[in-house]
Amino acid sequence: MIIKKLYLIILCSVLFIGGCEKNSPVRQNRIVIGLSSDITSFNPLFAFSVDEGTISELLYLSLINFTWDEEKGNLNPEPMLAKNWEWSEDSSFITFNLRDDVYWSDRVKFSAYDVIFSFDVYSDPEVNSRLFETFTDFYTDNENHIDIKKTFEVIDSFNVKLNFLPNSTPTLPEIIFHLIPKHVFENIPRNEIETSDENFNPVTNGPFILERWEKNQSIKLKANRDSFLHNPEGVEELIFKIVPDYNSRLTQLRKGEIDLAELIKTEDIDELKEEEHLRISSQKGREYDYTGWSNIDNEVYNSSGEIKPHKLFGNADVRKALSYAIKRKEILDEYLLGFGQISTGPVSPIFKEAVDPDLKPYDYDLNKAKSLLQNNGWKDFDNDGILEKDAVEFRFKLYIPSGNPRRTYSATVIKNNLKQVGIDVTIESIEAGVLIDNMFERKMDAWMIGWYVPIPIDLKISWYSDLEKTPFNFAGYRNTEADKILDNISDETNTEILSGLYKRLQRVIHEDSPVTFLYWVDNLVVYNNKIDNIDINPLGAVHHCWKWKVK
Amino acid sequence: MSKTTRLFIKRIFSSLIIIFLIITFIFFLIRLSPGDPAQKFISPSLSPQIAEKVRESLNLNQPLHMQYFGFLESAIRGDLGVSYNFRRSVVSVIADYLPFTLLFVSASFVFQLIISFILAVKSAKKLNGSFDKIFSGLALFFYAVPVFVTGVFLVFIFSELLNIFPSSGLKSFDFEDYSLTGKALDYLYHMILPIVTLSLVEIAIFYKYLRDNIEDVYNKLFVLNLRASGIQEKTILYKHILPNAINPLITIAGIELGIMLGGTLIIEVIFGLPGMGRLIIEAVLTRDYPLIIGCSLTASVLIISANLISDIVKAKVDKRLLEGSLS
Repeated sequence: MIIKKLYLIILCSVLFIGGCEKNSPVRQNRIVIGLSSDITSFNPLFAFSVDEGTISELLYLSLINFTWDEEKGNLNPEPMLAKNWEWSEDSSFITFNLRDDVYWSDRVKFSAYDVIFSFDVYSDPEVNSRLFETFTDFYTDNENHIDIKKTFEVIDSFNVKLNFLPNSTPTLPEIIFHLIPKHVFENIPRNEIETSDENFNPVTNGPFILERWEKNQSIKLKANRDSFLHNPEGVEELIFKIVPDYNSRLTQLRKGEIDLAELIKTEDIDELKEEEHLRISSQKGREYDYTGWSNIDNEVYNSSGEIKPHKLFGNADVRKALSYAIKRKEILDEYLLGFGQISTGPVSPIFKEAVDPDLKPYDYDLNKAKSLLQNNGWKDFDNDGILEKDAVEFRFKLYIPSGNPRRTYSATVIKNNLKQVGIDVTIESIEAGVLIDNMFERKMDAWMIGWYVPIPIDLKISWYSDLEKTPFNFAGYRNTEADKILDNISDETNTEILSGLYKRLQRVIHEDSPVTFLYWVDNLVVYNNKIDNIDINPLGAVHHCWKWKVK
Repeated sequence: MSKTTRLFIKRIFSSLIIIFLIITFIFFLIRLSPGDPAQKFISPSLSPQIAEKVRESLNLNQPLHMQYFGFLESAIRGDLGVSYNFRRSVVSVIADYLPFTLLFVSASFVFQLIISFILAVKSAKKLNGSFDKIFSGLALFFYAVPVFVTGVFLVFIFSELLNIFPSSGLKSFDFEDYSLTGKALDYLYHMILPIVTLSLVEIAIFYKYLRDNIEDVYNKLFVLNLRASGIQEKTILYKHILPNAINPLITIAGIELGIMLGGTLIIEVIFGLPGMGRLIIEAVLTRDYPLIIGCSLTASVLIISANLISDIVKAKVDKRLLEGSLS
C-alpha cells in the first residue's frame, strides 16, 4: 500500500513539474533553433562546419559586415568593427577606421592590435586555421605566414593600414573574417591554440555571448547588452538545441519547442503548412546535385599521370547525349515538388550579374540522345539492348552516397532513363566519406553528389585544367579556353567585365558538358511566426539574427 | 590467498588480454578501412595544404606499425590521444558522455529488473492463467517491435498528442534556475519516455526468461516432493523455486547490461540524449581514430565488468557455481 502511494506521489510530482514547465511563461524573447549535431569549437579560427561558422559569427565580429544584395546577387559591405574604410587608387593598401566603443566580454577594449594579431594567427602555419594559405594578396614568408611588419601600419589604436603585394587584386570578402582577442590568445603557444580551453569559454565581442554549452544538448547564447548591435526588441536568448533525429525536429517545430529549423524535406512541407504558427521560406541556389562523368581515363592518369580520354565519357557529344537522356524535370516535379530548378551550369542563379539567363538546359530528348551516341559510333551491334563501340559495352557503375533518399531517387531515374538509350547502369551506394575519398583519388568513372557553392563565386577550384592544383576538378575537365577565362576572372575587378567573363565561361562549360548538372535544391526553412524581421537569403537563415524582432 | 581471490585475479588478467586484443584489432581495422580523418579539412574554401598538415600533425603519415607502437606507449601512460574532431583529450571527451550513459542505463536496468521480476512472479503464481497469457503475448510483441518504432510511437502519443512529456533533451533550458529537488524532478520528467522505451524490450526479455525458468523449476520433482510435504505454495515459490530459477536471468542480465552500457544509440538519437552511442557513431563517421579506440576501450571494459559482476552475483546466489563462473 505504502509503495503504491509512493508511486502515485512520484508520478504526480513528475506530471506537476511537467505541467509547471508548460504553464510557466516562456522566457521573453527566447528563440530556439534546431540543429542536427553539436559543434566542436566556438573559435572562428576553427569554424570548419556551417553551424560552427553560424555560431561563431554571432560571438565574434569582423571589420566589415556583408549583407546580400538581392537585386545584384552580390555581397554588400556595411560597417561593423570598422566605421569606414578607404582603398588606395591602385588597391595596394586599405585603411580601416575602427570603432572605439567596442569591448570584449571581459571588458578589455577592442583595438587595432586585435586586428593585426588576428591576421597573424589566422595565417600562422602552426595554428592550422581554416584560412591558412588563403592570404595570397599579402606579404608572406615561405610558409605563407603574413609578414606583419610589411603588411600593417598602425596609425593609432583605432586606425590601421593594410598593405598588399604589388599588382595583386584583393577584394573585401577575401580579407574579412571574424577577429579574435589578442590579450586572450597571445600567451598561448600557437600550436596549442587548437586545443586550448579558451575555445570553449570564449571571450567575445559580438551581439551575443555564450551563457552555457551543454554538450550534445544545447548552446545557450544571451544578447550582449553592451554591444552596439544590441536590439532591445530583439532576441534576448538564442538557444541552439541539438536534436539529431529529423522527425523529432519536426515534432518540436509543430509543438513550438523549436522555433526554426533548416533542411526540411519537401514531402513534409504540406503538413507543416497546416500549422498556423509556422512559416515556410526557401533559401535558393546554394546547392546543386550533379552526375559526374570522368572525362579522363583514371587508371592511366593514376598510374602514369598521362591524360587520355575516358573510353565511355571522354567525348563531349556522348556526355551531352547523357544529359539529353535524363528526365531532370521528372526528379524536380516528383521528388523536389518544385522546390528547386533545373541547373544549366555551375553558376548559381542567385549571382544575377554572373549567371547567363539565355543558357538553356539540355531538355529531355531521347531521339537527340540516341543520334548523338550513334554519330559517335555507339551502336547495339549484338542486339542485346546495350550499346557497343570498339568491343566495349556502354555499362558503368554510378556511385551515390548512402543514406540520401533524394540521390537514391535521382539515381534510379537516371538508371531507367539511360536504359532506354541502351546504357546499362548499376547503382552502387557507398558511405559518403568513402565516396568523397574515392573522388579525390579518382577511383570512380561516374558518381552523383551535391555541391555547395561558395560566396563569392569561385569556379577555378573545380574547372581549371591543372589537376594537381585543382583537386576539386573531380571530372578531370580540361579546356584551354576555360582556363584563359578563369585566369582573367582572377585578375579582374571590374564587375561589368567580370559578368561577361562568367557568361562566356558558362557557355564553354555548357558546350563541353563535363558533368550533367541536374538541379538546384532549395534549402527549406520553417520558422515560428513569432520571429519577425527575418531575412532568409543565400547567406543563411540565422545570419544577422540580432536584427530579428520577437512578437 | 583464497581460491576466490586467485580466480578473480585470473579473470581480471584474462580480461586485460581480451581488451588488448580488441584494441589492437580495432586499431588496425579502422586504419585499413577506407576513409580519411582529414576529410573535414578538405573544402573548396580551404587550402589543400591544411588536410596534409593535419595528417602530419596526427602522425597519419607514419607507417602503421610506428603509429601502433606510439599509441601503445601513450596508452600505457593513460593517454589515449587527442580527439581529431573535438580537439580535446579523448579521456576528457569520454568523461563528458560516460556519466549520462552509466546513470541512464543503471536506472533503466534497475527498473527493468524490478518490473520483469514482479510480472514474472505474478505470472508464475498462475501459470497459463489470463494474466500470464496476456503478459506473455505482450512480452513477445515488445520483443519483436524495433526500439525506434516504440520510441517514435511513445513520443507521438505522450509528447505530440497528449503533451505530457518532452520529446527530447535531458533537461529544461531553465534547469539552472531550479532548486535541487526541481532539478532532480526535471531529470526524471525528461527521462521517463527514454527509460520506458529502452525498458520495454528488456523487460520482455527478462520477463520471458524468468517466467520460463520458473515454469521449468515448477516441473522438477523436488517441487512435487515439497508440495507432498504440505509446504505452502507461497513458501515453495519464494524459498525454493525463485532461487533456482534466477540464475539464467542473472547471466542474460549481465550480457544485456554490458550491451546497454556500450551505448544505446537509437534511444539517444530519438530522444536527443548525450550518451556513448552517439559519441561512438560520430567518431566512426568522422574517422576520429583516437576517439573510436577510446570508446571501444570503454565499451569493452564496461561489457567485461558487467559480465564479471553478473558472474559474481551468480556465484553469491549459488556458491557451487563459484569456480565455473570466475574461471
